[in-house]
Amino acid sequence: MKSVRLDRAEEASSNGAVPPVDPSKGRARRRPLGGPRWVGWTFVLPGLIGLAVFIVIPQVASLILGFSNSTLLGGTQFTGTENFIRLLRDPQFLNSVLVTAIFVLVYVPANIAISMAMALWLKTRIAGRNWLRVIFLIPALSPMVANAAVFRLLFQKDGVVNQMPAGVGLGPIPWLSDGNWALAVVIGVSIWQSFGYNMIVLGAGIDSISPEVIAASRIDGAGRFRRFFSITLPLVSPALFFTTVLTVIGAWQTFAQAYVITGGGPGNSTMTIMLYLYQTAFTNDQLGYASAIATVLFVIIAIFTMFQLWGQRKWVHYD
Amino acid sequence: MGSAANTTVAWLFALIFSFPLIWTFFTALKPANEVFAAHLSFIGSKVLWSNFADAWTEVNFGRLLLNSLLVAVISTVLTLIVATLTAFAFARLKFPGRSAVFLLFIITLTLPSEVAVVPLFLGFDQAGLADTWVALILPGLFGAFGAFLLRQFMLQIPAELEDAARLDGASTWRILISVIVPLVRPALSVLAIFAFLGSWNSFLWPLIILSSSDKWTIPIGIAGFTTQTGTQWQLLMAACVMTIAPVVIVVAFAQRQLVAAIGAGAFGGR
Repeated sequence: MKSVRLDRAEEASSNGAVPPVDPSKGRARRRPLGGPRWVGWTFVLPGLIGLAVFIVIPQVASLILGFSNSTLLGGTQFTGTENFIRLLRDPQFLNSVLVTAIFVLVYVPANIAISMAMALWLKTRIAGRNWLRVIFLIPALSPMVANAAVFRLLFQKDGVVNQMPAGVGLGPIPWLSDGNWALAVVIGVSIWQSFGYNMIVLGAGIDSISPEVIAASRIDGAGRFRRFFSITLPLVSPALFFTTVLTVIGAWQTFAQAYVITGGGPGNSTMTIMLYLYQTAFTNDQLGYASAIATVLFVIIAIFTMFQLWGQRKWVHYD
Repeated sequence: MGSAANTTVAWLFALIFSFPLIWTFFTALKPANEVFAAHLSFIGSKVLWSNFADAWTEVNFGRLLLNSLLVAVISTVLTLIVATLTAFAFARLKFPGRSAVFLLFIITLTLPSEVAVVPLFLGFDQAGLADTWVALILPGLFGAFGAFLLRQFMLQIPAELEDAARLDGASTWRILISVIVPLVRPALSVLAIFAFLGSWNSFLWPLIILSSSDKWTIPIGIAGFTTQTGTQWQLLMAACVMTIAPVVIVVAFAQRQLVAAIGAGAFGGR
């Protein structure tokens, strides 16, 4: 929209002040900036080449390598669908899909719910709420590795969490040596680290709701919950949708938390797909097989993203 | 709920939320044998500021810090240059194929970039660039978010400014440098902060591409130190404090701009 408006403004401003339009092009639009038609390419080329070489081509190459037995030392031979058949029977891989799916199913709703609740809470009358916002944002902008190292210390068997007064009588919980607890810790640190970011995105969405609408609903006698579900939620739904899509994409690629806190253990209970991919490729030198894992992950993320794009018509309101 | 009670509850929650970082700071000051004390205590029998100096040598934090700073500064400068050129082309120039190229940039935003690390590694390895900072830095420079952020700002500059410069005989380059760049300086500084933090926090790619420890950045060093047996937690926590502190300072000083940029959705989620 903006660029259209800008084009009109340029045309309007060209009345008389600038050299006449180039009639040979058959368009009633002056030559932009008066420079040669192709000059734009010289500016876009560095970015475009970089994008092609370091983002687009690796994605395509990854899809191709998935059909090979490529290793760093042994070269590359194409083996058809062998990798994908092997993946279907690879208990470690299937486990990693399950672990990551549990991660996504718990982490994403919890993250979104907490972000939304916190965004709403910080709209109420709180002294120093700008500073609260900063406090909640800090972990989201600090290195995940440092945050994960901190949590690894907190959840040691004789660590501070097990010394909390609330835990007295329960005995020490084996946070990192029990599979279910370890996954809970990995999910917990992820939520702790990242909800501050989504809180701010959703807060901006709430800010953009006009006060008149809220005031009108108050006059109509809508209660707090009614107001949230009938006014706030629909109006903030574009921001909510955007946030959810990106959070889901990020969640499927979870890596650093698991790598630092548990290393995938105990017994593969926190082995995410990306961690298994990393170990397959760079510990076991099975680059082709790892690329097949990447392809499956790519497809999973694509399906989840398209499903959300399709589903948004039912609940996202743009206007 | 009155606003005094509300404020108290909110700040109490923030205190609990910050507990891990507060605990990190106090652990960094404890003697080694009191990190896991039998009773819960913030302060050990001694307050050892020397742990920070020890982390500098034991974790090799000085080297890691220097590497991380250099890599982040180089990455930030190059990211700003590439993003400025791209955004300028999209916002202010018309050229054949512009909408097709623009569409390509938009599509790449939805690609899960970390999924493609294997071919990226193979490519750099074939080029003889594995275990170099060139390979570390290059792939991070071309994300489309920066270009889109700057483009939004450049679109708002009135065409009259350009036209005036054009009449004075300025070239397209001159207009970019003398007219456009000064006007989008606020957006450039926000982008600089995000580029810097992106490099500062980056983990998976450095872990893959860097094998020599003298080239490592902070996250690789911390991860290596954390996962080894017999971790000296007080030194590790001192390193974590020194890693997170710069982020805290940057966020505190630039909070208004950062909150506005994140709220505009400029950088996507995590």
